[in-house]
Amino acid sequence: MIMGARLPTTWRIAWRNLWRNPRRTSLALAAIGLSVTLVLLYDGILRWEADYLVDTITGPMLGHVQAHAPEWRRTRAMDKTMTGSSRAVEALRRDPDVGGVDARVYAPALAALGEEGFAVMVVGVDMAEATRPSRLLQGLKVPLGGRRVLVGRLLAEQMGVKPGAEIAIVGQGIDGSLANDLFTVAALIDTSVDLVNRQAIVLPLAEARELFAMGDEAHELVIYARDPARAGPLAARLRGSSELAGVEVLDWKTAAPGMNDLVELVSVMWVFVLLLVFVAAAAGVANTALMSTFERTHEFGMLLALGTAPSRIVAMILIESLALGVTGALLGTAFGGALVAWAYHAGVDFAKLTGGGPTSLSAWGVTFTMIMRPRLAAIDIVRVVLAVMVTAILASAWPALRAARLQPARALRE
Amino acid sequence: MVTRQPVCAAALAAVLIVAISPGSAARLSPQPQPPDVAAVLARLDDLYRSKSSIARMEIVVTSPRSTRTMRLKAWTRGEDDALIVIEAPPREAGTSTLRVGSNLWNFLPRIARTIRVPPSMMLGSWMGTDFTNDDLVKESSMHRDFSSRIDRRSDAPPGWWLRLDVKPGVVGRWARIDILVDDANLPVEERHFDRKGRLARVMTFDETRTLGGRRLPAHLTLTPVDQPGQRTEMRYLELQFDVAIPNDTFSLSRLERGQ
Repeated sequence: MIMGARLPTTWRIAWRNLWRNPRRTSLALAAIGLSVTLVLLYDGILRWEADYLVDTITGPMLGHVQAHAPEWRRTRAMDKTMTGSSRAVEALRRDPDVGGVDARVYAPALAALGEEGFAVMVVGVDMAEATRPSRLLQGLKVPLGGRRVLVGRLLAEQMGVKPGAEIAIVGQGIDGSLANDLFTVAALIDTSVDLVNRQAIVLPLAEARELFAMGDEAHELVIYARDPARAGPLAARLRGSSELAGVEVLDWKTAAPGMNDLVELVSVMWVFVLLLVFVAAAAGVANTALMSTFERTHEFGMLLALGTAPSRIVAMILIESLALGVTGALLGTAFGGALVAWAYHAGVDFAKLTGGGPTSLSAWGVTFTMIMRPRLAAIDIVRVVLAVMVTAILASAWPALRAARLQPARALRE
Repeated sequence: MVTRQPVCAAALAAVLIVAISPGSAARLSPQPQPPDVAAVLARLDDLYRSKSSIARMEIVVTSPRSTRTMRLKAWTRGEDDALIVIEAPPREAGTSTLRVGSNLWNFLPRIARTIRVPPSMMLGSWMGTDFTNDDLVKESSMHRDFSSRIDRRSDAPPGWWLRLDVKPGVVGRWARIDILVDDANLPVEERHFDRKGRLARVMTFDETRTLGGRRLPAHLTLTPVDQPGQRTEMRYLELQFDVAIPNDTFSLSRLERGQ
């Protein structure tokens, strides 16, 4: 019926055969559909997790591609800067593959509220870039400028500093001179980067440059790719570009290999999930195919006796299973897809789900929030449907071959 | 209160330098007879600072990017107390460092603040030079933390290489320090080896003159081995030893008064 009149007869017969036992077929469809739903849900969480990991790892600090003066990463010396950085930033922002650029200054310094000095890292950032979503200062509402700085919350607690306090920052200018000035604490920041919370004083790039007697230079350009997955090729292309000539350009996977391993691990986990669907679909299809061929032995005998080619019987049984699998997979996709879409929009709070667990998790110096927003890509669906189809064919191969080898005379007697 | 000897540079050197030989007693025997290590080290230790000192010195920091010159005045008393005030350039004039024991404070006139240097910043640069804050405070512990011996004879210049090895269990930046003293028991060169046994920096001593009644190398050059083009030179301009230094010199209130 659904299949329409123009389908080959074998298909129509197969489809009709499926519904000769509506209850068994419905059960099989439910089993396949449910497993596909679960797989898609899990795939969705995995994909969110992988994207989220990359986002959380690259967003605030690393970026997708980084550029430094060649010696800077090793020595972290103040004077290892890239000069003419604003021209490079402008050129990069015009690049169609680049989604954003943050020029940064990092300077070790001493900060003090009273007499007691604390070792800090002064970080100068491009405020417009750093306050964008999933960046270091995402959603920051406090205006800076006029010697107002942000202080990492843990550092602030250690120093006994509250918003409004006046702190001294003392360091070394890039020319070796003494850099010192007073700043007002505009706000305390909780970022996803432990190091920042523990050690950093963040201020606008221009003020950081002024404090440390720097010109148009930066220690690091953090480049965000429009497509994070293409960070590697982007880094390779930028490495040869004129605006980054003589500069070390790395994609984040090279700059932070440990972080990358973590992401890779998550991204191969779908393989295990897919195994799950194989088992569930195989069980559902194999059961249905076996039962329905066994109970139709007499009928197959008849068909063979009437001159039906055994290959046609094989085809019919395979098509029955295939139709069963695909229908189940489509139902599961519809249901699972809807579930993922809903979860994506609503956001699943892991803490509520587990009854008051942690709302965030800290690992590898990065804090991960626990609100899940699962998402799917076309490949996830294609993969699961193909898996069901392959399973269906494999699971019905034996019943189909058995039916084809029947001796018509003996089969007719059953 | 003490005798009045100016060693401005001495203060710094005292602070900065590990061990510099005292010339008095041990220098009588210039023959290739190995000197007494303890005596040589004690003399080196005392060379630029004596019981007290007031010094005026010039520091030149050369880096691949720039050259910077500072003039300082320094007061020292005993092994533990030192006050260093920057007199020039004008931009940094009045900036001062006070050391009392293992504590270090910086006074910054521009923002009128005194800040104590935390232990975590001890390995940071002192005033943009190649000396670290640690160099300012560590030196009094040298004889405690290192075991010393005469290592070998040196021919050019004639003298002796002393070798200091860090004692087991001591936490510190250097594993070994080699010191070359000439036959007048004046320092010629110091080599600092880090914990991995790599040569990290070299300090040379030259321009021997009479300052404050002592013959001593007036020009010291510190060269970090792993930073090409980088060095800090220190030249003593005036030096007085065992001068009376007012009691309150090594106090925070004095630090903030500058000079």
